[in-house]
Amino acid sequence: MLMRRAGLNGILLPLLILGAILLLLPLLGIEGYRLRLLSLLFMWVALAGCWNLMSGTTGYIDFGPVAYFGVGSYCTALFMIKGGVPFLLSVFIAGWVCAALSLAIGLSTLRLQGAYFAIATFAAAEALKQVVLEGDRVLGIDFLGGAHGLTLPSPPSGIFFYYVMLFLMGLVVSLTAVIQKSKLGYGLRAIRDAEQAAELTGVPTLQIKVRAYILSSSLIGCIGGVEAYWLTYIIPDDVFNVMRTIQMVIMTLLGGMGTILGPVIGASFLILISEFLGAKFVYDYLIFVGLVIVVVILLMPQGIIGTLVKKRGKSPWLF
Amino acid sequence: MAFLECRRVTKRFGALEAVRNFSFALRPREILGLIGPNGSGKTTLFNLIAGLYTPDEGEILFQEKSIVHLPPHEICRLGIAKTSQITMPFGTMSVYENILVAALYGQNLGMSKAHVAAERILTFVDLHKQRDEPAGKIPVPSRRRLELGRALATGAKVLLLDEVMAGLTPVEIEQALLLLKRLSTQTTLIMVEHVMQAVMGISDRVLVIHHGEKIAEGTPTEVAGRPEVIEAYLGKRYT
Repeated sequence: MLMRRAGLNGILLPLLILGAILLLLPLLGIEGYRLRLLSLLFMWVALAGCWNLMSGTTGYIDFGPVAYFGVGSYCTALFMIKGGVPFLLSVFIAGWVCAALSLAIGLSTLRLQGAYFAIATFAAAEALKQVVLEGDRVLGIDFLGGAHGLTLPSPPSGIFFYYVMLFLMGLVVSLTAVIQKSKLGYGLRAIRDAEQAAELTGVPTLQIKVRAYILSSSLIGCIGGVEAYWLTYIIPDDVFNVMRTIQMVIMTLLGGMGTILGPVIGASFLILISEFLGAKFVYDYLIFVGLVIVVVILLMPQGIIGTLVKKRGKSPWLF
Repeated sequence: MAFLECRRVTKRFGALEAVRNFSFALRPREILGLIGPNGSGKTTLFNLIAGLYTPDEGEILFQEKSIVHLPPHEICRLGIAKTSQITMPFGTMSVYENILVAALYGQNLGMSKAHVAAERILTFVDLHKQRDEPAGKIPVPSRRRLELGRALATGAKVLLLDEVMAGLTPVEIEQALLLLKRLSTQTTLIMVEHVMQAVMGISDRVLVIHHGEKIAEGTPTEVAGRPEVIEAYLGKRYT
């Protein structure tokens, strides 16, 4: 018990100091490219964190989280453009829309296991993308904008989005930490280790899997809404792009599945290395990014955090 | 009054009737031994009671209420817990956390109460030394005790023990028997067991199942002398 608490406390203080520094950075004159890069990094830490919240803890590989990113983007855009609803309220409602949608999708797909769950969620995301792409044409209306997408009202300064993304990242990371030591967290890990034994031990497996899925999906929806306003222009091919899903998965795997800091490290690593290599090798940097990913996974199969923790001989769940 | 009751339960897998027209009643605080040759339907019967299978015919009643259509986790919360022949620990979680999960969900407790309950069970099954080890890495006898502890921590009133002695040495069997005797003062036990010395020594009553049907029922000594039991185990020549 004490050991376990110490594990978390050991990183709590550095984390709080880091948080304080990040809060102060814009006041210290960081702006332009760097501000934007940090906001992007926060967004990806939050996204990978959401994916980890569901798939990292339960072992159910969700291959369609981008569905909620897209739906969240479109809901926020539609509420703002068609309804004149203020931004933050639109994002909030978009989160609830994603929660309702993920309840329906989760209840049907979370009865499947292994690859079947991954395929079903992937299919759901692709189907939603098609709905947004073709909806207008099929119904003969002008609402979703089809392949041309939607344009949002002009956004406030980059500093605003810096703080919103920082908040979302902090929210996701602290939620992960809280859930890990909660009743829900223990149930989810039991499912990951031995689902039938969990059910026989009184864990309402379907119910809590769906709860984790809804939590993860609605947060992803909110992040999608924020990004839509930030970029002011959304198209289905971008906000429903499967590359976003893959990036969430890779970031979490790089950092360490099911750990609190895994997505933070994984997302920061991948974003920074892409930026660095992108500046050096403008046209073929993706080849080098791919190489780096392969090398890291070969050397650290448990992810960066997972491997570090294992070397120190503690359970990876402590972090 | 029967505590747990099966009424004419039948379960088919295709053309095979794994359990046929099976009835029995369990009294509170009883130790009921369930024996029979391999493939006779013992584990199927357990899975039916625990809710992993739904019977094709018949009723299963717990405290006078039908549990046939409940999912396993609800049956567990009512007070029926099963240990498995092949242990299924939550491998990456510590021994203590395995028991904690059972207390949290089986008894539907909050965090602090569950910790208290888990500590008590940990002492009862004597796993204090291994409490922080990952459950997937402990040796077989400890795993069996963990499986038992996890079932107990759900607050079970009836324990279905599927071959808890399998793979244990004679000394370990002695220890397990002592543990079960202590248990039987608080809970009702049904045990499926191939270790005859164990099941005959501890059971109040024994059921013999063969080809999915009950062929004998009675005290251990009564049952052991029955010709149909000897036939089921050894063949006609020995009756």
